[in-house]
Amino acid sequence: MRCLTHPLLRKLLSLPPQCVPGRGTPRKGAVLSPKQLFLRQSCSAGPGLMTATDVVHYWQKVFETNGIPEAQESSQYIVSFVLGAKTFQSLDSESLHTPLTALQQEQIQQLSYKRLQRMPVQYVLGEWDFQDLTLKMRPPVFIPRPETEDLVSLVVEEEFQKCENSTLCFPVPVPHPVILEIGCGSGAIALSLLCKLPQSRVIAMDKEEAAVDLTRENAHRLQLQERIRIIHQDVSHSSAKQLLLWGPIDVIVSNPPYVFHEDMASLDAEILCYEDLDALDGGDDGMRVIKTILALAPSLLKVSGSVFLEVDPRHPNMVEQWLQAHPELLLTLRAIHKDFCGKPRFLHIQKQSS
Amino acid sequence: MNVPGLFHFAFLLRGVQTPSWTRWGLRKQQLSLLSIPLLQAARKRNSLNLLEISEADLEEQFVRGDGPGGQATNKTNNCVVLKHIPSGIVVKCHQTRSLEKNRKIAREILQEKVDLFYKGEDSDVFKEKKASEKQKQEKKRRAKENLERKKLFKEMQQLDKE
Repeated sequence: MRCLTHPLLRKLLSLPPQCVPGRGTPRKGAVLSPKQLFLRQSCSAGPGLMTATDVVHYWQKVFETNGIPEAQESSQYIVSFVLGAKTFQSLDSESLHTPLTALQQEQIQQLSYKRLQRMPVQYVLGEWDFQDLTLKMRPPVFIPRPETEDLVSLVVEEEFQKCENSTLCFPVPVPHPVILEIGCGSGAIALSLLCKLPQSRVIAMDKEEAAVDLTRENAHRLQLQERIRIIHQDVSHSSAKQLLLWGPIDVIVSNPPYVFHEDMASLDAEILCYEDLDALDGGDDGMRVIKTILALAPSLLKVSGSVFLEVDPRHPNMVEQWLQAHPELLLTLRAIHKDFCGKPRFLHIQKQSS
Repeated sequence: MNVPGLFHFAFLLRGVQTPSWTRWGLRKQQLSLLSIPLLQAARKRNSLNLLEISEADLEEQFVRGDGPGGQATNKTNNCVVLKHIPSGIVVKCHQTRSLEKNRKIAREILQEKVDLFYKGEDSDVFKEKKASEKQKQEKKRRAKENLERKKLFKEMQQLDKE
C-alpha cells in the first residue's frame, strides 16, 4: 500500500499545503476570518439563525476561498448528510427553511474542516452509495467510481442473457453463478452483484488488509456474509487452486488498477493524499494487473466463462493485441462497452472451448 | 411514480437555470441493452399509461468533465440532465448519490412530463393530479364544516346557560 505521506514525495509533486492527512483543525486566519462577515450576510431566517440553504452558501464560500474543488457539491453533501438526506435536491421545502440547531452546525463544521484538507467527500462522510447500496468508506480503501456501476450491470445482463439462451424451460432457469472479484476494495462490485443476482456466490479478494476488512464490514451490514468469501491475497501471488473453493468460476470481474504510471502524478490531491495508490497504478502501460488476471483466468474459468474488466480507454486495442499474441490462453475479446461519457471502458472477454 | 413526482418537477424546474459547471460531458445517449428494459418497465409503472420515449430521442449530460474519467477522477457530482429532443423538455436530477439511479429517476420524471406535454388533460399524470387535488379540497371543506358546526354548538350552549 502506498500513501503520499512522505513530505519529500509530496513536495516533489507540488501538492497543496492543506493536504495533510491526520491533522485535526486547519490553520487559523485565512480560513476562519471570513466567518463573521459571511455569518451576518447569510442569515435569511433571522439574526443568528441559519437555515440549511444559508449554511450551504456559507461553507461553499469558504471552500471556494480555499481552492477546494466542487465547493458547492461538497457543501451540499455535508449539510444534507447532517440532516439525514442523501442529496440537497432530495431535501423537502420545510427542511430547507428550518433553522439548524447548534449541534447540527457543529457537526457540519467538523465535517467541513476535513474537506478543507482535501479529504474526499466520501471519506468525510464515511459512506457513499453505489447502485442501490450504501457502503462504508474509509481511507485509504479505494472509493468506487460512478462508471463502475455500469460494470456491474453488464455482468448482470450477461447472466440473464445466458439463462434466456438456455434450452431449459422448466424449472425456469435463474442465474446462480460463482463469481470471482479481483481487487474488491470496499466491496462495491461484489456486494452489488450478490444483491442483483440473489442466487449467486462471490469470492472477493484484495491484497490490502484494509480493503478485506472494509468489504467484510460492508458485507455484514448488508447481511450478505453467508454468500461471500473474502480472501486477503495478491493476485500476482495466487494459484488457481486457492481460488477454486467453489469449483470452476462463471465470471471473473475486476476494476483493476489501470492508470498509466506516468499519469499518476497528475491525479487530484484528493486521490493522491488519501487513496491507496496501489489501487490505481497499473504500471508503465497500465496493464500490469490486467495481464496477470488474464493469464490466470483460463485455469479458473468454466468453458464459455467470462472476464469483465474496467479499463483505461486506451486499453481495448492493447488487450486485443495481447490476447492475439497469447493464443494459448484461449481467450477472445467478445465486446467493448462504452461508459456514460462515451469512452471505451469495459471489456468482455470469453474463454473458448479448446 | 405517483403524484408527488409531479411536485418534484416543479421543484426541479426551479433548478433548471444555466448551471455554473465548468465543463460538460456531452453525450448522445446510445441505445443499449441497459436502457431498453428500463423504459419498458416504466411504461406500466403504477398503473399509469404513459407514452413511451425512445432513447434515441434523448440527450444526456453529466458533470464529468473532459478528463480521463474512471479511476483517474473522483468527482462527486452525479447530477444528470436529460433532454427530450422532440419536445424540448429538460429534467435535472440529483435525487441520489448513485449516478445510475439518478439516470433512472430522470427518465421516469421525463416520461411523465412528456406524457403531460403531449396529452394535456388526457394524460394519466394530469388526471391523477386533479383527483388528488379534489381529495385535498374535500378534506379541507369537511374540516371547515366540522369546525363551524362545533362553533355553533358552543354558542348555543352559552345561550342555554344564560
